[in-house]
Amino acid sequence: MVTYDNSGGSAPEAPAPGFLARTLFNTGHKVIGQRYLWLALGSVLLGMLLSLLMRIHLVWPAVQIPFLSSFGAAPERYTALTILHGSLMVFLVLTTAPQAGFGNYFLPLQIGAREMAFPSMNLFSFWATAASLVVMTSAFFVHRDAGLTLWTASVSLFCFAALLTSLNFAVTTLDLRASGMTLPRMPLTVWAWFINALLSILIFSILLAACVFLLSDRLLGSQFFSPLTLLSHEPASLVQNTLLSLWQRLFWFFAQAEVYVAMLPCFGIVLHVLSTFSRNRVWAERVAVLALCGVGIFGFCIWGQHMFSSGLNPWSPLVFSLLASSLGLPACVLVLSWFGTLWNAKIQLNTAMLFALGFVSLFLGGGVSGIVLARNDLAAVSISDEFVTGHFHLVMGVAATFAILGALFFWFPKIFARRLNETLGKLHFWLTFAGVYCVFMPMHWLGLMAHSRAPGVDISTVALLVTSLRALVTAATILTVVAQTLFLFNFVWSFWRGDQTEVRNPWRATTLEWSVSSPPPIDNFGASDPVIYRGAYDFIPEAALEDFVPQNVVPPLVERASQPKQETSAGTIES
Amino acid sequence: MPGTTIVEDIGLIIEDIGRGGGKGPPAGGDDGGDGGGKRRWPHTPSSRRYATAIILGILSIVMFFMAMASAFIFLRATSSRWVPLRLPSIIWFNTLVLLLSSGAMGLARRRLALADVRQFRRLWSVATALGILFLLGQLAAWRQFVLAGFYVATNQASSFFYIFTGLHGLHLFGGICALLYVSFRKFERAKVSRSVAAEVASYYWHFMDGLWLFLLALLYLGK
Repeated sequence: MVTYDNSGGSAPEAPAPGFLARTLFNTGHKVIGQRYLWLALGSVLLGMLLSLLMRIHLVWPAVQIPFLSSFGAAPERYTALTILHGSLMVFLVLTTAPQAGFGNYFLPLQIGAREMAFPSMNLFSFWATAASLVVMTSAFFVHRDAGLTLWTASVSLFCFAALLTSLNFAVTTLDLRASGMTLPRMPLTVWAWFINALLSILIFSILLAACVFLLSDRLLGSQFFSPLTLLSHEPASLVQNTLLSLWQRLFWFFAQAEVYVAMLPCFGIVLHVLSTFSRNRVWAERVAVLALCGVGIFGFCIWGQHMFSSGLNPWSPLVFSLLASSLGLPACVLVLSWFGTLWNAKIQLNTAMLFALGFVSLFLGGGVSGIVLARNDLAAVSISDEFVTGHFHLVMGVAATFAILGALFFWFPKIFARRLNETLGKLHFWLTFAGVYCVFMPMHWLGLMAHSRAPGVDISTVALLVTSLRALVTAATILTVVAQTLFLFNFVWSFWRGDQTEVRNPWRATTLEWSVSSPPPIDNFGASDPVIYRGAYDFIPEAALEDFVPQNVVPPLVERASQPKQETSAGTIES
Repeated sequence: MPGTTIVEDIGLIIEDIGRGGGKGPPAGGDDGGDGGGKRRWPHTPSSRRYATAIILGILSIVMFFMAMASAFIFLRATSSRWVPLRLPSIIWFNTLVLLLSSGAMGLARRRLALADVRQFRRLWSVATALGILFLLGQLAAWRQFVLAGFYVATNQASSFFYIFTGLHGLHLFGGICALLYVSFRKFERAKVSRSVAAEVASYYWHFMDGLWLFLLALLYLGK
């Protein structure tokens, strides 16, 4: 394939950057992307630890945990634990890793740009995100009221950073593509990052507005959510309903779409990995792009799904229920596209592919229970919180984590020029895969059992069953968390000692990031700008040997038609 | 190349022309500095990105204020102890000042299009000064409101008055910074040209104008 050599072109001599410019204030998109990934790795470990504490506390409340006991056993400590776990996982792992982490690193590489559109703004977003992580975590350690204020402030900061990041992503995709990189030729990862950026631009400002209201209530004494203005005349229930539902509306308007903000880049990554390792074109690629857009649009409209029991207009649950169910349509298209890509393909079952397949399984397994939750008549009456917890952990939390892990195994050779160990990776995959099903499937059953009041059922038998199921979930959680040490070991070991990959394109993939050396040079493409000649998934399943054509390979006709002065030897063919 | 036909290649070439991310037709891997749309190393991306960014940024700010406006409408409709609001009179004067500022900016850009930089600078300074006057006027409005006995915590309507004017003022302050940048930046050494900077700043400034009219209408009609 055509490769871009950074040694060939004589770059204008730029002054060597100082120490601070290379470290704290480095605006390179690859450096920032990598830092986001480290940030997410730290957050996911912390978040996992918190979930372990919660499970242990739930099953063995008497157990003295040295760390927690010093804070006292007040109920609000448990709530604080839940809040911190949720905010870390949703904001700093699921939102950050697939978009800001891998996106920052690979978006410019995949579209043939040398940098993001606004590198300094990118740097600012990163440090704002890092600061919000610090503030969010410190909120856990202070008193309840101050903690909530700190938490709100840190979420506002995160929103602001996320807005700037997504602005950067959208502008980069629109205006910085290399020549020949038309919209239909963009890799699906780029499409997903782009749609996600547009969605984020719209929804993070909603959460920012809600947080500004809340901060103003807490600090300035304004009365947006405070009951003072209503209290004297009206019944308490009405006060509760009106004020809570304002916050709920603003919050869920953001939060339901946030699910898709976490999922969209994962859809893109999974499609990308599935296509590469089944050596097959993405089935119905353009329809898949439309489905990604559909997920973005529908995800934007179904916030009321969370408010069935909060006193909405009686007609609106029906509308939201219909909209929520229609999200199944683009989801089905995506599932069809995944299976169509796998159909009759020469599948290579390496770890990255396993994680992508695991994503498909978890997304389907968790998604099916979403149909039940989208029914307004069922969801409000017969299902308790644990069902919801099981549902969204499978479909959003764990599935997205699998996509992130798949992406890490896929791109690790490009980022670090070493491979992660495959044997350890596969072991880690199977343990985690079994573990998460054992954790979150029983949660669905627990959620259904909470409402089992059929005549003739002995309540004590149900209670016994619930207790033992909870213990099973906790045991499975412990095992799953322990299995993650395999991954950590693999990561650290491969980082220092893993097999070095000399070739630029170890997976024989088609997109542009594989045409540069690993790790990519600072300016990505050296002296000459890349030119794109074909779609992103030009695999030829029928071909025996060369079954893929990278995006930047010059078609023979163009080569012949171009001026004779052009050196054809500038591009070398590499398998 | 395996697996592709001449016809497909021709299709690819046709698809290429003029659609390659706005960077001109694809050239080979040569290093001929033939101008036409080709960029030199170090690469500077097209300045179109500034306009794209400001448009998307405006979209995001619209969503931000829409969330606030919907909260206003919601509480206005459901709260039975809504105390009607008497807007401070100076706010009408401020509105006029902001409209004039937008007008001056429009004229300034017209001068710039005619390459009349001296006149542009003068009109641009007028627009900036009017913008600063608007902000001072808003502070005076707060002062009037406080003297009338309305604080942030007095009632819901006054909370909304302060948060709307405050946040709009904050966004407008950013706009003033952008205007001052266009006034004082030496564009001979900048990455961005004066006309692009003025264009991007003017999008934002006119938007601030429209946003203020919307918020004012909301506060006035929803009192």
